This record gives sequence, C-alpha cells and structure tokens, in this order.
Amino acid sequence: MNDIATALKDNKKEPIKITITLPTHAYFMSGIRDFTLSLIRNSSNFSEQWAYRFQSVVDELCNNAIEHGSKPGEEIKITFINHPQDSIEIIVEDSGTGEKQMKATEIQKLVDERSKEGAVIHEIRGRGLPKIVKEWTDELTFTDKPGGGIMVRVKKYLDDVKTQELKQGLSLAGDQTHIVI
Amino acid sequence: MATPATVTIEDIESSSPDMTVKIVKFTGQLDESNVDEKAQAIYDLIEKVPRNLNLIFDFSELEYMNSKSIGYLTDWYGKVYENGGKIVIAQTRPNILDILQVVGLTQLIKTFPTIDEAKFAISHPAS
Repeated sequence: MNDIATALKDNKKEPIKITITLPTHAYFMSGIRDFTLSLIRNSSNFSEQWAYRFQSVVDELCNNAIEHGSKPGEEIKITFINHPQDSIEIIVEDSGTGEKQMKATEIQKLVDERSKEGAVIHEIRGRGLPKIVKEWTDELTFTDKPGGGIMVRVKKYLDDVKTQELKQGLSLAGDQTHIVI
Repeated sequence: MATPATVTIEDIESSSPDMTVKIVKFTGQLDESNVDEKAQAIYDLIEKVPRNLNLIFDFSELEYMNSKSIGYLTDWYGKVYENGGKIVIAQTRPNILDILQVVGLTQLIKTFPTIDEAKFAISHPAS
C-alpha cells in the first residue's frame, strides 16, 4: 500500500481519476470522508491541513446533492481527479430527482448572495457551499446535466496553497524579533 | 444508521449562586446522519435552565463537524446569550478550529486551549 501511495505521489504527469457511486443516505458519508482524507494525504502534495479541508468540501457537496439532488433510494456520483503537482478536482453529480431540486443558476445565485462580505446567515443550514466550499476552493461551478440533475465541480490549485502558506510563514516571521535565514 | 457521536453534560461548581455552569463534552463526528438528534440534548438543556446558563463546550474528542452543526452552534449561542448566559469552546483540534474560523464563528464564540482557561473566562466575564 505504501509503495502504491509513493508511486501515486511521485507521479509527475498523468491525472489519477477515481469515481465512487453511493446511495443517497448520510450514513455513507463517514466512509467517504475517511477516503478523502487518506487520498489527499497519500497521493497528493497538499498538506495535512488541506487534507482535512477537502474532507469538509466533499462532505458538504455530497450532503447538498443528497438533500437537493437525488431522492432516497437513488445515487450520487463523486469523482476525484488528482492532477499531479498541479491541482485536485472534485465533481459531485446528482440524479435530479430530489424534492428540493434547484437549477444550476438558482444555486449559483444563492451561493453568490451568501458568500458576499458581511452576509449573515441566520438559518441552521446554508453555510456549507458559500462559507466552506467556496472559501476553500479556487473554482466552483454548477452545471445542469442534460438528462436531469446537477453537476458541481470544484478545483484547488497547489500553487495557490503554497503561496498562501508562504505568506503565512512570512507573516509569522514578521512577529519575531529575529529573522531566521 | 448514524455515525458514532456522543454528547455528555457535566455540572461544575459555579462562583455565583444565580449562575449555572456546565461542561458539555462532544466526541466522535457530528454529521448529517446524527446532528439533529445530538442537537436536541442542548436544546433540552437550554429549556431546562432558561436563565444565566453558561456552557463550556469541550471539543477535545470531537473529530469532525459539518456546516449544519455549526448552524446549531450559532443558534444555541443566540438563545443562551439573550438570556444572560454564555457559551465558550475549549480544547479544539486544529481541523475543527480551522472550520470554525472559516465560517467566522470564532468572532462570535471565544475559544480556549484548556478547560481551566475556559472556566476562568466564564467566572471572570470582564477578563
């Protein structure tokens, strides 16, 4: 297993794509979160902090698909694409049969409104996509699928993460009285 | 079928007779499969102690919380605060603190590295 993980991590070129289909029940999300954590830790160059962040991103996307997209007894599909040394892409698709189904433009509008600076959410729900998924990804798009349902795609670039971590490091160094070279 | 999680409530001595202080310990993972049921224990507590309820949430063994559990946390804080009480959080793991920060909850609810520091903050509100 360690050899496979090392090989995946050292892979310089080919994207690695993994697709999982699961029934629309929140019980299965614990396993998907474990899988996400393990996948990011073992086969990407993202840090431990980002492994946990992707865990939340995937959980929120899937919960949204289960609540709005696919009725009980149906399925949702999750695709992970690791672009080595570049980015992680995650796609979650529902079947379009959920009771609270929304169109891609409606979800996009809701996320845009709720993620505006100073926007306050008073309800118990409604923080997942605008406050967690949007904050922790570089690209977030919603697309209506031709046969019904929605496809949500997110992408996070490794370069952006490294830049952020470098900035944080410089900021911390700025608090010190000595510069460590 | 639900993800394992527990909520345990413990009474602790209060510095003032008209103030109730409790430690609420969360363990496991709060997610879509269990959070509605677990949240009810806190609503029951708020109903039972309507005034001056002070809660220290011990997150030392909380491994995961989703956006809905953060929504509940915000709602409990509002209900407790408007009735003269307070909620603080102690011993949070880095991934949980990260998620509380990204949704802006740490601007509303104070977090402390230890239970003792949280107890001190509850009993010395001006500090």
